[in-house]
Amino acid sequence: MVDSYRPKDLKDALSIRAEYNPQPLAGGTDLMVRYQSWSGTLPLFTKSVMFVGHLKEMKYIKKEAKDKTVTLVIGGTATLTDVANHPDTPVVLKEAVLSIAAPALRNNATLTGNICNASPAGDSICALYALDAVIVIEKSGSRREVPITEFITGPGRTILGPDELVTAIKIPLKASSVNDFTKVGTRRANALSKLSFTGVADYKNGRIDSIALTFGAVGPTVVRSVELEKKLIGLSGPELKAMIPKVIDDYSTVIVPIDDQRSTAVYRKKVALNLLEKYLKELSSHE
Amino acid sequence: MVGAIHELPIKGWIDTKGVKMGARISIPVRRIDAKEKAGGWTKYIGDYQFKNLQHGRFLRSERARAKIIEIKKPDFPEGYYYIDASDIPSSGKNNIQMIKDDWRVFAVSDVKYIGETIAVILGPDKQKVLDLLNRIEVIYEDLVPAFTFDDALSCKGGAVYGDNNIFSEYLLNVGNVDNAFKDAVKIVEGKYETGFQEHLYMETQGLVGAWEDEKITIYASSQCPFYIRKSVAVTLGVPVEDIRVRQTTTGGAFGGKEHFPDVIATPLAVAVNKVKKPVAMIYDRIEDISFTSKRHPSKITIKTGLDKSNNIIAMDIDTLVNGGAYESSTTIVLQRAILHGIGVYNIPNARIRGRAVATNTFPSDAYRGFGAPQGLFAIEMHMSHVADELGLDSSDFRRKHFIKTNDITITNAKMHDDVKLPEMFEKIDEMSDYSSKVKEFANDPVKGIGIAFVNHGGGFTGNGEQAIIKGVVKMKRLEGGKAGLYVSVVEMGQGLQTTMRKIAAKELGLDYEDIVYDNPDTDIVPDSGPTCASRSIMVVGFLVQECAKKLKAKWNEGVGVEAEDVYKHPDGLVWEQETLQGDAYPSYGWGINVIEVEFDPVTYEVKTTGIWAVWDIGVAIDETIMQGQSSGGVIQALGYASIEKCELKNGTFMQHTMADYTIPTSLDFPKVETCFIDNPYKYGPSGAKGAGELVFDAAPPAYAEAVQNAIGKRIYDIPVTPEMIMEALK
Ligand SMILES: Cc1cc2nc3c(=O)[nH]c(=O)nc-3n(C[C@H](O)[C@H](O)[C@H](O)COP(=O)(O)OP(=O)(O)OC[C@H]3O[C@@H](n4cnc5c(N)ncnc54)[C@H](O)[C@@H]3O)c2cc1C
Repeated sequence: MVDSYRPKDLKDALSIRAEYNPQPLAGGTDLMVRYQSWSGTLPLFTKSVMFVGHLKEMKYIKKEAKDKTVTLVIGGTATLTDVANHPDTPVVLKEAVLSIAAPALRNNATLTGNICNASPAGDSICALYALDAVIVIEKSGSRREVPITEFITGPGRTILGPDELVTAIKIPLKASSVNDFTKVGTRRANALSKLSFTGVADYKNGRIDSIALTFGAVGPTVVRSVELEKKLIGLSGPELKAMIPKVIDDYSTVIVPIDDQRSTAVYRKKVALNLLEKYLKELSSHE
Repeated sequence: MVGAIHELPIKGWIDTKGVKMGARISIPVRRIDAKEKAGGWTKYIGDYQFKNLQHGRFLRSERARAKIIEIKKPDFPEGYYYIDASDIPSSGKNNIQMIKDDWRVFAVSDVKYIGETIAVILGPDKQKVLDLLNRIEVIYEDLVPAFTFDDALSCKGGAVYGDNNIFSEYLLNVGNVDNAFKDAVKIVEGKYETGFQEHLYMETQGLVGAWEDEKITIYASSQCPFYIRKSVAVTLGVPVEDIRVRQTTTGGAFGGKEHFPDVIATPLAVAVNKVKKPVAMIYDRIEDISFTSKRHPSKITIKTGLDKSNNIIAMDIDTLVNGGAYESSTTIVLQRAILHGIGVYNIPNARIRGRAVATNTFPSDAYRGFGAPQGLFAIEMHMSHVADELGLDSSDFRRKHFIKTNDITITNAKMHDDVKLPEMFEKIDEMSDYSSKVKEFANDPVKGIGIAFVNHGGGFTGNGEQAIIKGVVKMKRLEGGKAGLYVSVVEMGQGLQTTMRKIAAKELGLDYEDIVYDNPDTDIVPDSGPTCASRSIMVVGFLVQECAKKLKAKWNEGVGVEAEDVYKHPDGLVWEQETLQGDAYPSYGWGINVIEVEFDPVTYEVKTTGIWAVWDIGVAIDETIMQGQSSGGVIQALGYASIEKCELKNGTFMQHTMADYTIPTSLDFPKVETCFIDNPYKYGPSGAKGAGELVFDAAPPAYAEAVQNAIGKRIYDIPVTPEMIMEALK
């Protein structure tokens, strides 16, 4: 038997988390599946559970402007539907979120849950890596902000401490003129990813000013190479075009997928590189 | 409580309340079960309440092939039981009487596949049952398992069955194949493979066994209540009358509830016989996908010889199906695969060798089509490949070889059907614009179109309806101008509760809602045979029609008057079961599908952009219900052909969740444009023939041919996954 807690507010939640270290449960769409047992019996939770999905203080999405940067702040209990419907949600994140499951599930599942579940096939994560998302982590009396690339450490693993909660996700809103999120799933709807790709980039004065390229479900965590991206900064469209074969070569060394019940390593790699090529061609024709 | 249902005017539905069924039978009526099912009122097995219900769970083999050295059990608290083969009464036996009885109720001393039943653990509290189950430790000594066709044929690890792993073998021959090959100027060969397929009915397997009135009653989500009755009676060693089986509303079956419920019912009955309390055995979804029978995988090699004018003069086929660890109905599946092995063609010299092999995979069993889809996939792809090899149009080449009325079949009998394939082709060509699209897409880098021609024998193979089933139906005049219909065939989503009523009502001049037709109960209805083999309408429906005529003649004798009708094989048909010679089926349904696709060269995903179907099913008893069969059958078959990957790794199905075993959603395929042509059959009700399986047969080869034309590479295997397309394009 495990205990369950239903805190009345965030403060309460943080103190329960500090005292008993229960597992947070938001929409439960990962946890209830992970711990399912014979129908009609209790789920097989190994730890006590704390419900957090109802916490109103975290159910918001807002824009914050500071100096010259505008940030979208997504509260820790905002659902995937909330994220998809918000007018300021970057297009790649919106598409990623809408590619997850079906409306009924998205009404219940949270963005935080998708991140904390840290599945290599988590669709929002692929987009959030490209958007330089920052995870806001709180515990009683303190708070820290960590880039998503550092937050997730492996399949199902994060740096979240046993007394901490994720309370928000911050996304710097940047100009981005060429955007692509593509999910290759096991079918057209209500499907899990065989792989996914996100590309965001912007030109300034005819030269690439910012670019992020990420690949989901092709490694233990989402793949992003800032180093390879840097080589593309400052290129003009035609220069990029000439470099595409080289870029594909470079990425073929960082994308190292595996075989599993959904797809094969060769397919994942080949299609990831195909999607990258398609995106870069598209990008090189813009300015 | 569920609230009131709003009446929705649904296009194409005619509410015939008050309308007599004298009119054309095909005019659709509102399905009798539509409101209840759409409203959520319908009770399925899991919704029944039983006093003092016990919950059972199987202890299953975790090894594909092993000796059982020891089973370590914890102490069982009072009221909790461990039931195994030692609990079978001495009059009974540890066999499940299906078509063969080799499948064991409980594994004893060794196990032959992962998931094999070793024992039933039961008790009043599910969690305690689960805890007991988890504390049981089975000590195995592993043996070398065989999984593939090659493993089976080389008897890897020693034979699983007999001394050569061959459950059954047949040789069909027409003409003189060896001589004809000598005259051939060109020979084309191909090898075709199909995989496992999971039924994924909406309602999982579920049965409750109860001790009522001093006898065992089984409540079952099932296609064949009398099959369950027979197998339980044999296991317990009691007369069949001592067992009662009541079918509960069945949420889909597709063949998965034809024999497989026997595998649950027999150990369940042993348990109920011991504890004399009601016991439920209801599968969870993952359990259901992991541990129930699948469609037989197949491997078919075809060699074709052609003369100078590109006519097929000889064909040699070798068919293998994987039956898994026990034979059950595998031999009959093999028969259907080879009896449909040369498809809808007239091949003067043809030979088919068919073998069903034993392996340590979960025993394969019935699935819509019962072997025919495997045989038809191979022959249709092969015909396409031969045409390609000859540089001919695939459909022209096939049409030139169509079988015609009175041509000789693979079983050396005349084709009695009025074969309407040529006019059906004209119809589908007009609907889909097939011929002009073939030309238009020839040089298109991403678009393709495919076609397939099939037939499907209705009813049991050969004289099975006469020799094995001997179906009986009964009717009775009830109070209030109503009539009772007593048959053992069941509604499982296909619409039988509605169509059977229409057939009876038409003869009696009643409203179809005035026919009383309850879920069959073996204590009440006669045995009209199982719900399978596309026989319910064609065979049982005809008996219903004839029985209704008899009842009508006696109607005025008053309330309570009864009529009965018994199956009689149509005159002039001959059959020899041992050699499979003669009239293989009383009649065939015929079909053509055209499928149009577009593939994505970046992701290798295929988008289906058009689906057309033309069927000759004699006469549709209800056009809307038949539209449902056409759409459902075609889409289910397209799942089989495209995304339903079911791989076996060390004896375990890798895709055992609904996240990984994906079936099509409404976004995966467009609407199926369907047309029926009338071709009434003398021995079918109002002329209707078998239809339920036919609608599955044509889509896989039509889809594979469309993809083949889109990517410019031949396809030999299904499912055609994007991974496969990528490899083909390398
Ligand atoms: C049918 C189905 C289809 C699906 N399809 C997809 C899909 O296509 N793509 C995809 O990416 N995912 C898919 N999922 C997975 C799932 O829906 C998502 O991962 C979802 O976003 C999880 O959110 P949740 O609120 O339900 O999380 P929960 O299940 O409640 O929790 C998930 C994890 O997050 C932790 N957590 C939750 N809130 C907090 C918090 N505030 N602080 C710290 N930790 C927290 C939990 O402890 C747990 O470890 C699917 C799931 C199902 C059941």
